[in-house]
Amino acid sequence: MLRKKNSLRNDLEPQDYLLEIGLEPLPARFLSPALESLAANMAEALKASRLSFKSLKTFGTPRRLAAFIESVAPKSEASSEKFFGPPASRLKNPDGSYSLAAEGFARKYNVTPDQLIIETTAKGEQLSIVVNRPGRLSREILAEAAVKVISSLEFPKSMEWEESRFKFARPIRSFVSLWGTFPVSFSLVGIKTSRVLRGLNGESAKIENASDYEKILRNMAVVVSIEERRNILIKKLDWAAGEGGGDWDKDQDLISEIVAMTEHPVPVLGHFEQKFLKLPQPLISLVLKKQLKFFPLIRSGRLINAFLGVRDGISEGQNLVREGFERVLVARLNDAVFFFEKDRKRRLESYLEELKRVVYQKDLGTMAEKASRVEKLAKDLIELLGDFEVSEDSCAEISRVCYADLTTNLVKEFPELQGTLGGVYARLEGRDERIALGLEEFYFPIGPKSPIPTTVEGAIASLAGKLDSIAGCFAVGLIPTGSADPYALRRQAFGIIRIALERQLPIDLEKAVSLALKNQPVTLSEDRFVQVRDEILDFLWGRAQSFFEEKGFSVDEIRAVKAGAFGRLSRTYLRLSAVRSVRKEADFEPLAISFKRASNILKQAHYENGDGVLKVESLLEPSEIALLKILTEMEDTVKEKIEFDDFEGSLKTLVQIKPHLDLFFEKVMVMADNPDLKRARLKLLEKLVSLFSQIADLSELQGASPK
Amino acid sequence: MMNFQDIILALKEFWSQKGCLLIEPYDVEKGAATFNPATFFGAISSSPVQIAYPEPCRRPADGRYGDNPNRLGKYYQFQVLLKPVPRDVTDLYLGSLKSLGLDIKKHDLRWIEDDWESPTLGASGLGWEVWLDGMEITQFTYFQQMGQAPLFPVSVEITYGLERIAMYLQKKDSVFDLQFNDERSYGEIFKEAERQFSTYNFEEADVEMLTRHFEDYEREGERLVSKGLSLPAYDCVLKLSHCFNVLEARGSVSVTERAQYIARVRGLAKKVITCHWELENAKKKEFAPK
Repeated sequence: MLRKKNSLRNDLEPQDYLLEIGLEPLPARFLSPALESLAANMAEALKASRLSFKSLKTFGTPRRLAAFIESVAPKSEASSEKFFGPPASRLKNPDGSYSLAAEGFARKYNVTPDQLIIETTAKGEQLSIVVNRPGRLSREILAEAAVKVISSLEFPKSMEWEESRFKFARPIRSFVSLWGTFPVSFSLVGIKTSRVLRGLNGESAKIENASDYEKILRNMAVVVSIEERRNILIKKLDWAAGEGGGDWDKDQDLISEIVAMTEHPVPVLGHFEQKFLKLPQPLISLVLKKQLKFFPLIRSGRLINAFLGVRDGISEGQNLVREGFERVLVARLNDAVFFFEKDRKRRLESYLEELKRVVYQKDLGTMAEKASRVEKLAKDLIELLGDFEVSEDSCAEISRVCYADLTTNLVKEFPELQGTLGGVYARLEGRDERIALGLEEFYFPIGPKSPIPTTVEGAIASLAGKLDSIAGCFAVGLIPTGSADPYALRRQAFGIIRIALERQLPIDLEKAVSLALKNQPVTLSEDRFVQVRDEILDFLWGRAQSFFEEKGFSVDEIRAVKAGAFGRLSRTYLRLSAVRSVRKEADFEPLAISFKRASNILKQAHYENGDGVLKVESLLEPSEIALLKILTEMEDTVKEKIEFDDFEGSLKTLVQIKPHLDLFFEKVMVMADNPDLKRARLKLLEKLVSLFSQIADLSELQGASPK
Repeated sequence: MMNFQDIILALKEFWSQKGCLLIEPYDVEKGAATFNPATFFGAISSSPVQIAYPEPCRRPADGRYGDNPNRLGKYYQFQVLLKPVPRDVTDLYLGSLKSLGLDIKKHDLRWIEDDWESPTLGASGLGWEVWLDGMEITQFTYFQQMGQAPLFPVSVEITYGLERIAMYLQKKDSVFDLQFNDERSYGEIFKEAERQFSTYNFEEADVEMLTRHFEDYEREGERLVSKGLSLPAYDCVLKLSHCFNVLEARGSVSVTERAQYIARVRGLAKKVITCHWELENAKKKEFAPK
């Protein structure tokens, strides 16, 4: 009898809750996001049901998604809530029976009209009802929550596998759902909850108490905690790398992938023949990491003929696994050698012929046509750069063969190596290192933070390639939308901005875009040409904006320098820095407001820059004469400073105009009756505005807007 | 050690014991076992299917004149199609590996996400490549679509790469060194065919003739569909697909043309599916209690 009493008492204490969804292998990339949603949705469901718990954590392997909720109360908290209905006057009909409105209100909350209470509120006397919700058994709540949460999980791709047409990332094969030792039963997709946990190789074990979850699985060689699995893996890889006599390539993406695709990861040290090391290093790395998910071993910055594979399971049959890993690797490396040697029999130029058979885009022609456009554009860009120092021959060579590697056997096998292999082959052909580097880095930058081309020649060729892609695609209407950007134009546009800025190229991007657009094999009317060019410039400006924002500039500052920004992007950057730094000065904000006033007056007067020089004689008031005088004095100083890119200095000079401008606005009515006088005054303001505009349009600054 | 032919026998034995109907390969060229009408029509029909068969597959562009130890222009798959999908299907699969003498505990078995797609059939499915100690030995797919139409009920397709499995079991680095039986090697039987067919597919195939055949079979297929003959019309789909594969290996298909060819094969495949469904519905009505 004592045992029964205990279990009864158990029922009244908080217990841990376990929900495990047993799966056919879940794709590695789905695991972490799925666990995050599982945790969030579960917590939300319990909260909504007022069921208290201490903490919630998740576990996951390819075979299971689990939520573990510590100390879940036996019952949810009771609650009562008051609801208001129609005015009290409408409680009864004249004959004394309850009105339809009152009956309806009562029915809505499952009570009879005689239970309605009259309550005085701000709106007068109203019918009301207090709904008392008693606490519910946690097991009921948990079962409902589990079904709801499992059904609500979303994945990048889902599938159907049985007759109810339920959708999930991969088929669900079991549910374990326990509150302490009590089953929390439910059934979904034709599966009933059970107590059976499955191990790695088909073994199974029964679970009596939710809190034994980790322990039972560990006994079956399954480490359910992702964090723990990662730590174990890294520690073991460190150790195994030591055995192999090198460091392992700590590729974070690969580590995460392996952790997500194993239940019990064990590194296996393997070797391959020294002769394969003559293959290009990036190629070997790619074969190891991408094709086989092995970690390369490195000594003094070079790959060595050893690797670390990771197996899932215990260490039984380790030699078999190692032999298997090595054999697969040799097969792949042999393939690579076969292609590498075949490729090397020909010079890069000879592959250009084959580009004629590769279509870039149906309206933009073949890759061969694109290649010749890029070669031409690179030449045009050098011309645009004026007397900037650059080797025209190198740049021409890079831009001529930049796409040649696309039709080599290895790049066909490993498209990720485009560019990289161009560089490798160029070196093997004995080309100048500058050419090899330019080819290798032609597609740079690959990511938002990754490096840009090292040499100026490489940078120009790379710019030409990207400008051509963007101009071509925009010309035929292939403009990226929210999610679809199949030609990676956003990445290329960001690359253009970064290269122009970080390489400090004195290039006029507006002109460069026009040149690229003119090269396209698409006929555009004059209007359409301007329209497309502006679309491209807007697109580029969007990327420039994100670049500047990332550097800490605010949106209004960036807007203030937009006019003429593309003329020379590196100068735009300096103008931005000047605005940001001078903006801190006390006089600046009020000046910006006065500036805004001046430019508004010009706008309202539809003032267009008139001819002629503004003479002192045309003005009347001392304050306006003083303003003209000081403006004329400043003009030369400012111009000289701008010449030397000293935008901060010139802006600081200009700020000194504030007291004169204030006095002007105080004493002078710009829109005078005398038309000559009015014109002169407008001209004065225009002079002021245009002087500032060479640095920034202060009226765009937030402080300048009326609050 | 298991000979190549013993692997086929073992898989046949295993799946036959599990209740599968064992059929032999279909006699029209195809790029994958999925193209066998048993799978194609099996997957789109509404009735249950348990079927298993070995299938020779032709991939003209993959041939390497018998020079590359890992590449073949023609190779063998073993295919299983199950509908409805048994709940323990992954365990069943592990069982089949055991029948090949593999003790799973001593190996690394990895299920790598690999969603399958056949643009020419307008088909897609979700599933995995199964890696045995790093080597891809099986494609495991839950069909979701055929001819761009959703499939219900869903079937699962298990496709074993027989040469890969044999290379693993026999520890051979070249496919041509595999023992087919105790006396003959894979190379003795097929190496010359690899050389000749590579020469044919890459150098000698008559482009003009193949283009003509493609058009003929397309026309024939359309005509057959209109007569409600889905089975012979499907043979035309296979012929189209094979003509296209050879033309592509021959290097006479540009990227734009490629998309057009594929769209044409898919177009006919879709019509075959519609035709098949109409026939099926008509039959259901005929047998429905009045």
